[in-house]
Amino acid sequence: MILALAVALPIVAGALLPAFRFEKARRDLYMMTSAVLASTLTFYALIADQPAINIISLNHFLDITLKLDDLGKVFAGIIALLWPVSLLYATDYMKGHGKQTSFFSFFLMSYGVTLGIAMSGNLLTLYVFYEIMSLSTLPLVMHGGSAKSIKAGLKYLYYSLGGSAFAFIGLVYLVYYGGTTEFVPGGLFQGVSLTHSAQLRLGYVLCFLGFSVKAAVFPVHGWLPEAAVAPTPVTALLHAVAVVKSGVFAILRVTYFSFGVTMLRDSYAQYVPLALSAFTIVYGCTMALKEKHLKRRLAYSTISNLSYIIFGAMLLTPHGLAAGLMHLVFHALMKITLFLITGVLNERAHIYDVGEMRGIGRQLPLLAALFTLGSLAMTGLPPLIGFISKWYLAGAAAQVGGTLPILGIVALLISALLTGIYLMVPAVTMYTRPSKLAAWQPVETNFSVLLAGLSALILALSLYSAPLLNFLNNTARGAV
Amino acid sequence: MEGLLLLIAILLPAVGSLLVMFLPWVNENRNNRCIFVGAVMVLECIVVLLVALSGEQTLVLFEMTKDLPIALRSDGTSRVFSAVMALMWTISGFYSFGYMKHEQNEKSYYAFYLMTLASLIALTLSGTMVTMYLFFEMMTFISMPMVLHSRSKEAVAAGIKYLIYSVAGATMGLLGIFMLTPNISSTFFVAGGSLMTDQLTLPLAAMQAVILITLIGFGTKAGMFPMHGWLPTAHPVAPSPASAVLSGVITKAGVLCIFRMIFYVVGPDFIRGTWVQWTLLACATITVFMGSMLALREKQIKKRLAYSSVSQVSYVLCGVFILDTMALEGAFLQIVFHALTKDALFLCAGAIILKAGISRVDEMQNLGKRMPWTMWMFTICAISLVGIPPLGGFIAKWHIAEGALTSGTQVFSWLVPTVLLVSAMLTAGYLLPPSVSAFFGGMAQTESPAIREDAKDPGLLMLVPIGILTLAIIILGAFPSIMIENFDNVINTLLKGAL
Amino acid sequence: MTLVHNFPFFSILLCMAAGIFTSVFKARVSKILTLMVVGTVLVLSALTLRLTLQLEDAYPFIMGHFPAPWGNEIRIGRLEALMATGFSAVMFISLIAGFRHAESFVSEQKFNLYCIMVDLALAAVLVLIFTNDLFTVYVFIEIMTIASCALVVVRQNGHTLVAITRYMIMHLFGSGLLLMGIAMLYGITGHLLMVPLKEAVQQIVETGNHLGPLTVVIALITAGLAIKSAMFPFHGWAPDTYAFAPPVSAAILSGIISKAYIFVLIKFFYRVIGLEVIISQQITQFLFVCGVAGMIIGSIMAISQRDIRRMIAYSSVAQIGYIYMGLGIGTRAGVEAALFQMLVHAAVKSLLFLSTYELINVSGDRKRFHYLHGAGYRNVPAGIVFTLAAMSMVGIPFTGGFIVKLNLAISGIAIGGWVRVMVLLALALSTLLNSVYFLHTVVSIYRKPAEDHIYPETPKMPAYAGVTLFVSMLLVVYLGIGSEPILRVIETGLKTFS
Repeated sequence: MILALAVALPIVAGALLPAFRFEKARRDLYMMTSAVLASTLTFYALIADQPAINIISLNHFLDITLKLDDLGKVFAGIIALLWPVSLLYATDYMKGHGKQTSFFSFFLMSYGVTLGIAMSGNLLTLYVFYEIMSLSTLPLVMHGGSAKSIKAGLKYLYYSLGGSAFAFIGLVYLVYYGGTTEFVPGGLFQGVSLTHSAQLRLGYVLCFLGFSVKAAVFPVHGWLPEAAVAPTPVTALLHAVAVVKSGVFAILRVTYFSFGVTMLRDSYAQYVPLALSAFTIVYGCTMALKEKHLKRRLAYSTISNLSYIIFGAMLLTPHGLAAGLMHLVFHALMKITLFLITGVLNERAHIYDVGEMRGIGRQLPLLAALFTLGSLAMTGLPPLIGFISKWYLAGAAAQVGGTLPILGIVALLISALLTGIYLMVPAVTMYTRPSKLAAWQPVETNFSVLLAGLSALILALSLYSAPLLNFLNNTARGAV
Repeated sequence: MEGLLLLIAILLPAVGSLLVMFLPWVNENRNNRCIFVGAVMVLECIVVLLVALSGEQTLVLFEMTKDLPIALRSDGTSRVFSAVMALMWTISGFYSFGYMKHEQNEKSYYAFYLMTLASLIALTLSGTMVTMYLFFEMMTFISMPMVLHSRSKEAVAAGIKYLIYSVAGATMGLLGIFMLTPNISSTFFVAGGSLMTDQLTLPLAAMQAVILITLIGFGTKAGMFPMHGWLPTAHPVAPSPASAVLSGVITKAGVLCIFRMIFYVVGPDFIRGTWVQWTLLACATITVFMGSMLALREKQIKKRLAYSSVSQVSYVLCGVFILDTMALEGAFLQIVFHALTKDALFLCAGAIILKAGISRVDEMQNLGKRMPWTMWMFTICAISLVGIPPLGGFIAKWHIAEGALTSGTQVFSWLVPTVLLVSAMLTAGYLLPPSVSAFFGGMAQTESPAIREDAKDPGLLMLVPIGILTLAIIILGAFPSIMIENFDNVINTLLKGAL
Repeated sequence: MTLVHNFPFFSILLCMAAGIFTSVFKARVSKILTLMVVGTVLVLSALTLRLTLQLEDAYPFIMGHFPAPWGNEIRIGRLEALMATGFSAVMFISLIAGFRHAESFVSEQKFNLYCIMVDLALAAVLVLIFTNDLFTVYVFIEIMTIASCALVVVRQNGHTLVAITRYMIMHLFGSGLLLMGIAMLYGITGHLLMVPLKEAVQQIVETGNHLGPLTVVIALITAGLAIKSAMFPFHGWAPDTYAFAPPVSAAILSGIISKAYIFVLIKFFYRVIGLEVIISQQITQFLFVCGVAGMIIGSIMAISQRDIRRMIAYSSVAQIGYIYMGLGIGTRAGVEAALFQMLVHAAVKSLLFLSTYELINVSGDRKRFHYLHGAGYRNVPAGIVFTLAAMSMVGIPFTGGFIVKLNLAISGIAIGGWVRVMVLLALALSTLLNSVYFLHTVVSIYRKPAEDHIYPETPKMPAYAGVTLFVSMLLVVYLGIGSEPILRVIETGLKTFS
């Protein structure tokens, strides 16, 4: 019941928002209340295990069910934490932009949809929410209304729906061979003699390719850099946390809970995803280096980092999965902080390019310091959280051994180096050259407090992350 | 509590640095600041010496995760390195009180100076690979502002180059740490190495390649070929006292990391006689030669000294890579003497640039008449650097050469001494002529027109530190046995399996 | 034999009688009469469906007092009743929502003729659904062709005249092929009633006599019906015809009438020839390839269209391709999926045509996408309905289109081999292509219009039209969520179909 409420509340609240015609203050209150309520429900469900709930049955083997197991808790926890934060940020950010009602309406609805993905009890439910997410986030991407926004939105849509179409193939395979789309730890085919493993592997690879569109794996990553044209709350939350991590989450579910590790291990069904993700790790960073526009640079960085998670998961060991989950959590925090800072730089100081960041360390000290912190974390400077997840990823890969995992480690390191260059060098220039910044609008306290809070969380986790890591390790063990 | 001294050794300069930045009493008044910084550094030397004398202690700072402790341990190597570094740092610090009167932004300079010292000491005291990596990276970032100090275009470009090279080197080092962690039996450093050679997770060739990459990565800080490119631009562009410590001290941090990886993690036997050792020796030898050649062609004083550092530090690395007792003794000696010598040379150069207004070696004719003390000390240090007995530099180089000859390193057993000899000649070629021309004026018998009117020896605050260094070179050169004994204690624990 | 048993017969009679009576009434009365008739047919069919669900098997019904082969016999089973209910529901909704537009095309005096054609079309559809002999099939196919022609050409402009000429040529050619096939079949078997035909065909297959002619018969009849139902590559007449017809006519033609031809084809396969024979003659392979090709090429052509109505017309070609792909899979599951798609598509396509017309209406009667920007705000219900229909076309979950995709995919995967691969890939590709043109249009209708476009004021859509569209939208969603019972009916109905 709680699960259904948590998912439905933001969707309904968002859908009803246009009907209310609030003015700004009331509307902000309404939205924040809905979001915080949904988050509270989710956090409650994290602590007190909830029973699964069947919403509706499409036919005798297909039903929409919500269930929150450990893996879902990881994702749901992140979403529930970061959505109200982003919403608070957005209320100040979108001041002065048009069509705010429809924007916030879809923003809230997407929250519920994402929670639905996290709480899906079977692949059909996940697929349904996944498709709906493509549609509910589309207006957010196109919000600007300019020709560029619309083009970016359409590209996002085609990619997403094309990806879902291929993921659908995987769904059909599961239904046909497994009889159900339930998520079962270890997969549906454990212990069953596998005369059809060749067919199933093909189905899996197609499914992987389908879901990897949202997870921005090369070569289906093309929509993400263009989507950077959306307003920053959208880019930060959706394209660094919700949408892209949903793609990754779907891959994790399909690999560990549907098809199962045993069938995939040591076959091309494992090698192809490993190779693609390893390549994407390096590709994303290289493109980030070439990119001068700050948001696009961060978008490419996201592309690279998502493949860290996929790479870890595709090692098909508990350590690999645990490491991937660590990075899922840590990257979400770090990237959202960096994006939110960028948003403030865009809107209040009109800084869009990396070159324009020179010398602002003196004028905007807090933002510069937080940006530096985030960059150091992303680069992987110990003891910050970025290092911890990279360490475990490399450790898991080293444990597995073999050419592809080792290549993956090399890719990780190259990526760390490139990240250092494309993030730390701008960070350093913030403190050195004379500034080109002529004037800027004051930064609201809300922003500063939010960003400082997120950074404090990053620091806290850097120093004390043992309980979280324990939980993730247990989750991973339970999944194999 | 055990390890408290270690903690103090790190925190003292760190806290001092923060106080310099934020405490008004200190950062308003220049005199106060100098006294404060000086006091901190002297205290630090005392603490470090106490650490050196009090035997091995361990302290776990905190645990990043269950099996990733950040821990300190003061074993033989750390005591040697930390003592050298703290002393050098203090002496250069006192010199800078006189020098930096003429530069801006002193407050941030001293703050970063002290903070770099803190991270350096922490690096020497690191007890595990990850701790070492942590402080290695931290040191890069903290020392960068010193390079960037003048905020000029060259300084910023040099700083960024330094950053990129260092991060690249650290990344290469990290590869090794990743790959070695599942293969070693102890997270902490173990004298003689703790590699479980019979159950490696990688094939042998791959493991060797990884170790090679790691060592080359850490060698970035030491300016070893092929990762030397940043050094000649970064060292000169910093203020002279900073150049001194960058060249003299921070390069040794790179050496330390290599040292730790070979002798405390992998174990010298694993790479002895393999292509890894040959490659490393080749790189070090090339660097020795190349550094001296490039120094010869360079006319700018500070750049010439920077290239010289590239060459001289690789002497140390040659000694290390030969992997036998004599060579290691030579390496340690070279560490000490090069630190002393290069420090002193840079400080002299600073004085020359500041007081005489010249920056090129061909403008130094008859400078000796105006600045006798400076030039005398410059000459003594130059002679030591070339390796002429009885000064310290000679002993170091002799040990390395003899170690090479008696070791079983085939080609390198004669190549290394040959290169050392050639390099010695080149060093003479690039250091002695300026000295000679300073005293005997070359052809012209008149002063170089570039020298300022009011050129004279600098004040005591700058002269005395140089003097101390020079004196140490002379004395330690005459009586090296105490040092050698100490070094032997350490070396024997490291090579116990081998000979 | 209760009253309900007679309902199908009553429905047919009612439609034909209404047609006759309408010829004397004026516009207004004929409109109401037609609506009432269609509504009544809907109710009657629903009740028939309820009856058949209670019965074990299909039952034959003798029209008049003479048994077959002298009298005419129709056969009523679950599947037929379901189809009849579905089609009459779609027609009813289309008429309510769209009739008022017909007034702008047809003059007052001629309006009753239009209504007659509607009645005739419905009657023909019902007959084709229930009939049990080939002669009736042919006769009413001809009637349906002519009625459809009239439905289109009632709007007299250059476009429709050209389109209808092409339509007539191809359809009459198709009918000709059909007639030749029926004649030949009569020649080799001596029967026109479907039940004895089946025995005769079995005998032919067993003995091997006349096997060649049998193959030719099957080919001719299949080709004829394929042409008439716009299967690729015989679809040439469809885009223009659907695009330029009045919206109600387009809805009826593409939604219902084309399906009736396919239903006849299925009946022919099951009740006359027998599925095994069809498969062995590799007819199904041919249908499969054409179906897949239609799916892909229809969508590709749709992407390049500038006029929204032609885009929807091409999408019809693609959707018919789905049906033929299902048939071509050659298993019972495939045919079930195809039948379900027939129902879904009927509902969705009529919705599409009607809502599109409303959107065009509020955009100054312009059909290019350019001018449709912002139409979703000018007519909110039509926009929502169009969006939902588009989503069903793409196959978003909770719409009927998703269940269609699912069933087609499962039946495809069950058969294995290259057919499986082609089915899955074709479905995936088709989804992507559909989303390109449909969702692009959805985005367009919600975009801000360009400043220089001025849209004249149009009268608001009356409430009943909006409500009807809304209700039909719920039907599509119901097909997405509660499809299970309907699929059961199709499955059991198909078992008793032959």
